[in-house]
Amino acid sequence: MTHSNTHALVIEIDAAQTFDALNLVAVDTFELPVELIETTAISIRLQAIEIKTVGFQFPRAGGGIKVFRGAEPTACEPQNSTPRVASPITIAATSEPVQLARQRWKKGKITRIKPPADVVKLEDRLFYLLQPPLELLVGSEQLSFPFEPFPYQLDGIAFLFPRYAAVLADEMGLGKTMQAISAIRLLLCSGEVRSVLLICPKPLVTNWLREFSVWAPEIPVAAIEGNSPTRQWQWTSPDIAVKIANYELLMRDRDAVLDHDQHFDLVVLDEAQRIKNKKNATSGVVREISRTRSWALTGTPVENSPDDLVGIFEFLSPGFLNSDMPVASIARATRDHMLRRTKDMVLEDMPPKLYRDADLDLTPEQRATYEKAETEGVVQLENLDQQLTIQHVFELVLRLKQICNFDPATGSSAKLERLVADMEEVAASGQKAIVFSQWVNSIDQMRPALERFGPLEYHGRVPHKQRDGVIAEFKSNPSKHVILMSYGAGSVGLNLQFCRYVFLFDRWWNPAIEDQAINRAHRIGVAGSVTVTRMLMANTIEQRIAAVLDQKREMFDELFSEAKLPGSASLNREEIFGLFKLRSPKGRIAG
Amino acid sequence: MSRSPETELCIGFYTVDQSEFTGWTGGLLILTANGRPLEFQCTLPVRPTRAHEILYGPTLRDYLIGDAIGSLLVKRCRNTPAFICCNQPEALQLEAISDAPLALVSEAAEADEGPITDDVLPGYDLCEIAGSTLRVAVEQIAAVRHTATMLTNMPDMLEPFERIREAINEAQKQIARAKAA
Repeated sequence: MTHSNTHALVIEIDAAQTFDALNLVAVDTFELPVELIETTAISIRLQAIEIKTVGFQFPRAGGGIKVFRGAEPTACEPQNSTPRVASPITIAATSEPVQLARQRWKKGKITRIKPPADVVKLEDRLFYLLQPPLELLVGSEQLSFPFEPFPYQLDGIAFLFPRYAAVLADEMGLGKTMQAISAIRLLLCSGEVRSVLLICPKPLVTNWLREFSVWAPEIPVAAIEGNSPTRQWQWTSPDIAVKIANYELLMRDRDAVLDHDQHFDLVVLDEAQRIKNKKNATSGVVREISRTRSWALTGTPVENSPDDLVGIFEFLSPGFLNSDMPVASIARATRDHMLRRTKDMVLEDMPPKLYRDADLDLTPEQRATYEKAETEGVVQLENLDQQLTIQHVFELVLRLKQICNFDPATGSSAKLERLVADMEEVAASGQKAIVFSQWVNSIDQMRPALERFGPLEYHGRVPHKQRDGVIAEFKSNPSKHVILMSYGAGSVGLNLQFCRYVFLFDRWWNPAIEDQAINRAHRIGVAGSVTVTRMLMANTIEQRIAAVLDQKREMFDELFSEAKLPGSASLNREEIFGLFKLRSPKGRIAG
Repeated sequence: MSRSPETELCIGFYTVDQSEFTGWTGGLLILTANGRPLEFQCTLPVRPTRAHEILYGPTLRDYLIGDAIGSLLVKRCRNTPAFICCNQPEALQLEAISDAPLALVSEAAEADEGPITDDVLPGYDLCEIAGSTLRVAVEQIAAVRHTATMLTNMPDMLEPFERIREAINEAQKQIARAKAA
């Protein structure tokens, strides 16, 4: 409060409007009980991570045949073997084939040996899976090639290698021989097999020997041949890793090959369709050979009906197939055991095969003879009535087909005229041609008109010893423009890819045989397109047979695409009678 | 790893495959100088628990590849490889327990790890085999280079890892089939 003489300011505190802070909260002390925090240690036990292992040991590659690298034996250890041929094989990680293989590998193309479905044991499956891809083996001593293989050929080798029962059914010309030899070579080098028996038709023995010298020069291989004591020695010799025998010889040497001491780690049948008939004697002997692995090579696993395949599997795995199985079941069952590729499937850049159907008219002489023969023939057949057999019909078919080739009385031939005209063009362009006929007699008849084209012959009347010489001359002699072949002798195993023209002077009963014949020329190494001229006489038995052949071809295609087989696919009894709309002993047959 | 009666040259390839569904599976493949299989050791799938994942944290991968799985496979192996190739840097830790030198195949590792340089792996030197670059501890490089001179027919140093993965897949398929049966 302030006082002044002149002014006085009076300030008073209104007690009603003011408060004392000390009076707001009662000042005192309080006690709060605080409970103690109890601490507990919890132990979390970290268990050791449980690890279980499994291990597999594999046999060290070796124990097989001796492989030479330069002058020294390498990875494949010698085991009492004395290679007949010891060609040096150069190996270097920087070699061209190895580099090529690595390039393929880096591009992602790998061919692994996959275990077959029937290999169940994990150890066995891993043994195959853990093998190096074939692309990386190329150039090594176990898989050196004189030529770079096609990828599908490596697939074929990878298919055969792990299999105990296998059919390699590639179309003719894709190199089944090379694939089989390379797979055999791998098995021998890895010690998986030590003794191999290869059985093939007699004319192909020299071809196999030659192919072995190209694709597996270090493998001791020999053909079983010579007199009986020599053959006996060969059969028992452990020094020959690969023995090559022909089917005919097998019958003669039956006792030796079926001897209880004789066992082969692998038996390979070339042209395995030879054993499609389960009942023939050769099939019986082949099936009895003591063996561990069985492979069949054939370009025509089915010629007439799925039964053919059943016959081949009787060798591979008896009882695996039976004749009562539906086609779809057969296709399913054989899927893991059979590999079939066609040129269209694997060789996209292979020159094409051009078919040219030469539908010709009979010459007047041929027509007259033909019509007379058919009319009289049919009457004779009908007169046979209940005695009529399929053999009688066959005889008439053959007689008519021969007239379609040549008129027996005059030698007139529309086919020969056409052939000569076409050959002018073939020879003028410096090319070569193969002419196939069912009959050697027809070949005899066509030869004079073809003399200026330097014809060579290769058929049943040409001795086996001369056949290789014929092929060599045809290949090397530029004046030899045509070779005349019978289907029987010339349709398998020959490499004539230098020929650009094939003439089917007459048609075989079976399209598969025709394909084999055509593929003598249309195979790997062919320089350009191959033109196939199928000669067919219009309005004759040939045209009627051709229609049946087309049906059979459809059946073959459908079997391998797992489609249903048409019931009338094969040339059965009814169809043969039907060629002449004949009344068979059991009633009329629809034509 | 016990000494094998086999004295011929062989080399090892080691990798661990990790899958969200199956876990960690290790494989050790022993090959001859030609690239042929001699021996294969593999683990059944290893599944760390949640506790392992938490407590090992980011070191779990190191531990599994470079210790737990690798050391067991190396011990089980009956052949004695001249060296062991790996495609995961973590596996180089196996040097501590392995008689055989470890070699990282750079090209095989780079797919997952990015470029492998001297800075990434100090103390390692280079050796070329079959067109691939191997990184080996400087103390071991002389021995590996000497062995390399004997591996002229070794086809490839990357591809065997693929074989191990294929084999692991096959083994796991069999296990799955067995369980389903």
